[in-house]
Amino acid sequence: MNAPMTIRYSRDTEVVQRLRPEPPSDREARAMEGLNDLEYEIFTHKLHMIALEGKETTMKLGASTAMRWGDVAFGIYTAQGDLAVCATGIYHHAVLSQLPVKYLVKHLAHDPTVGLKEGDAFFYNDPFYGGVHNADMGLCIPVFSGGELVCFIGAAVHTGECGGSEPGGMVNGAKSRYDEGLMCPPIKIGENFALKEDLLGLLATATRDPRTMVLDIKARLAAARIAERRLHDYLAEIGPDFLVGGLRRILKQTGEAARARIATLNDGIYRQPRFMDTTGPESALLKINLTIEKKGDRIKLILNGSSPMLHDRPVNTYFQGLLGMAMVYVCGWLMPDLPANNGLLEAVDWEFPENSFINPNGDVPVSYAPATMVAFSQGMFMAGAKLAYATDPSRAAGAWYTGFAVTVFGGFNQWGEPMADITPEINATGAGGRPGMDGVDVAGAFFATMSDCGDVETTEAERPFLYTFRNFFDNSYGHGKYRGGSGVGMGIKVHGVPMVALGSMGFGSHFPATLGIFGGRAAPPAFVQTVRGSNLEALMAEGAPLPRTMAELYAGTPEEGQRDYLNLAHAPALFQGGDTFYVPISGGAGYGDVLQRDPEAVARDVAMGRCAASAARDIYAVAINPRTGLADPAETDALRATRRKARLARAKPYDAFVAEWAQQSPPEAVLRYYGPWQDAAA
Amino acid sequence: MTLRITENLAIDLATEEWCCVACGHRLAPARANYKTGCLVAEVPLAEAHPPLVQGAAYSFTPDPDFCRLVEFYCPSCATVLENEYLPPGHPLTHDIELDIDALKAKHGGAA
Repeated sequence: MNAPMTIRYSRDTEVVQRLRPEPPSDREARAMEGLNDLEYEIFTHKLHMIALEGKETTMKLGASTAMRWGDVAFGIYTAQGDLAVCATGIYHHAVLSQLPVKYLVKHLAHDPTVGLKEGDAFFYNDPFYGGVHNADMGLCIPVFSGGELVCFIGAAVHTGECGGSEPGGMVNGAKSRYDEGLMCPPIKIGENFALKEDLLGLLATATRDPRTMVLDIKARLAAARIAERRLHDYLAEIGPDFLVGGLRRILKQTGEAARARIATLNDGIYRQPRFMDTTGPESALLKINLTIEKKGDRIKLILNGSSPMLHDRPVNTYFQGLLGMAMVYVCGWLMPDLPANNGLLEAVDWEFPENSFINPNGDVPVSYAPATMVAFSQGMFMAGAKLAYATDPSRAAGAWYTGFAVTVFGGFNQWGEPMADITPEINATGAGGRPGMDGVDVAGAFFATMSDCGDVETTEAERPFLYTFRNFFDNSYGHGKYRGGSGVGMGIKVHGVPMVALGSMGFGSHFPATLGIFGGRAAPPAFVQTVRGSNLEALMAEGAPLPRTMAELYAGTPEEGQRDYLNLAHAPALFQGGDTFYVPISGGAGYGDVLQRDPEAVARDVAMGRCAASAARDIYAVAINPRTGLADPAETDALRATRRKARLARAKPYDAFVAEWAQQSPPEAVLRYYGPWQDAAA
Repeated sequence: MTLRITENLAIDLATEEWCCVACGHRLAPARANYKTGCLVAEVPLAEAHPPLVQGAAYSFTPDPDFCRLVEFYCPSCATVLENEYLPPGHPLTHDIELDIDALKAKHGGAA
């Protein structure tokens, strides 16, 4: 049984509420006055360049999968801890990574046993402050000018291993937060410009992959020190007053611009329930009940009616994590031209139910929180499309794939080094359909838009895997007037080692993770296929024809062995050398009615392999001339007219439909964590 | 004045009615749920999401114990105006509830 959250140490429930910018200090208010507009524009550009260099440096020096491929948020914080300037595509950290800084300002800066001096460095990964899960780790340094603290510089990055009871940073079987590995509130990890070896030893020992842990910490710090040097050079030109006032002005302007933008949207209430189909270790329904109230220059996110807290399952997420994910939508899609910082939250209010799985209490596990967070953010895409279309249709985009489908692994690599991490294909999902355009094929990750999936050879060089293929997974997107972008499919064979632990984190094997907008279809559910005792190596030696795509894999394969189909959420288990593991990382949401899709676009997709001929016929009702490969307009019109008649023949008036529909419910086993079914909000 | 609200839905501010963008059909009062003016059907999951695996625990088709697909059609032109993937029997969502008075004020009391 988990204890209630009553321990004062390390559990500050006040500081996590301070997501919006702090009120300006007298110093900041004075410094803001009289800033020259032109100099201010140069200042904002220079600081962004410093932050961008910090992000790139972090990536170049880091070792973990996520750090190397760009899941990095690097920024400059005010002396109060607000993140004013951030270089990132992983926007949730742009509003969440300030919380550990505010914690240390509140608790450590003036504590005589810790304090805050030039040359210090602080490390943290407690998800209560980071807002996501233990695998997300951060480091910040204070910057002084003339003895005055003028700002912080920091980097938040996912390091793929944190020492939980399963490898890879996300613990499917976690029963409490104490199963999830390293859990570190802000600590001073460096003094006098040097890291403390005793603490590095502690952090390295706490994980399965000490080399990566230490290299990632050093990468964050090295990048921060370079940024500090750049900032000092610039401070010599502009002086500390300009920096303090300029940082504060960025936040103020961001808040004002966000409110002005919100004011252009139509007032009203927009609802979008979201459903997850896993608690981590088992399949069951959970609900995130999103309502957006828009009035004047503010929006309010209301989550009442969401499923209860799960005492011993890892899909709980702290409320601040969902707000971070709301900002992913805001920064990337609703207001992509505004700075990515927590000033955006000046336009946002929120209401979360206590003791729900999206606002839990106590010591519940949260290492699958990213799944819940992205499920929520898809609700933002869907409700946001209805909110934004009337005033700016270009902002109404379908969601990118949101089911994660990330492969986790742990063991020893082919060089005998301990390793545990995730594979990078999470950064290769399909984008959602958009007004007038299909989603981009294999676009990336919507929550990490500056990241990519790396190349196969780099992964093979240091991980004990041989890719049997990695390319488009055709038909993995949602169909629609504008289809979602195709996702990616991959096959890996355990290679060069006797065994390795492999598992998967995600959701959407029963209930699609990625739903369409404006009548567009969902991307199909996804799952993992494994073959133990595979004869693939022998087939390769013979030169036998083997599947080169997911479509070919499912059309029929000569590979034999013990074949299993597994949920996207399953705990790591040992696989022997030669065993195979096939994963679809799927496509984006469909947009609009499938029968409104341009028949020529369907024909082109069929010709390129993006769309199956059966889908052209059965989903889109497009007749394709087998000789030319072109759509037949007359026959297509006839097919579609027939299909529309069939729709109306099958449909019922609303009230009649509801009378029958409401008699159904999912089986009890599916609802065992759901909360009250009868009170399900419409 | 007719205002486009989504890809498929518009509101006639003068008559305060939801309309189908494709054919102009009047669906429902603008202050009510537009879905009440639609024809509604549950689409068989295997029709919308054909399986790639037969007889296995997972198949690329949603699990009907967890999920169903409901489509809302314009009664006149049969365009899919919106859809919902919902657990079986879950209440249909009143997804857009606009402040019509604010909308009218924004457009100069347009009629």
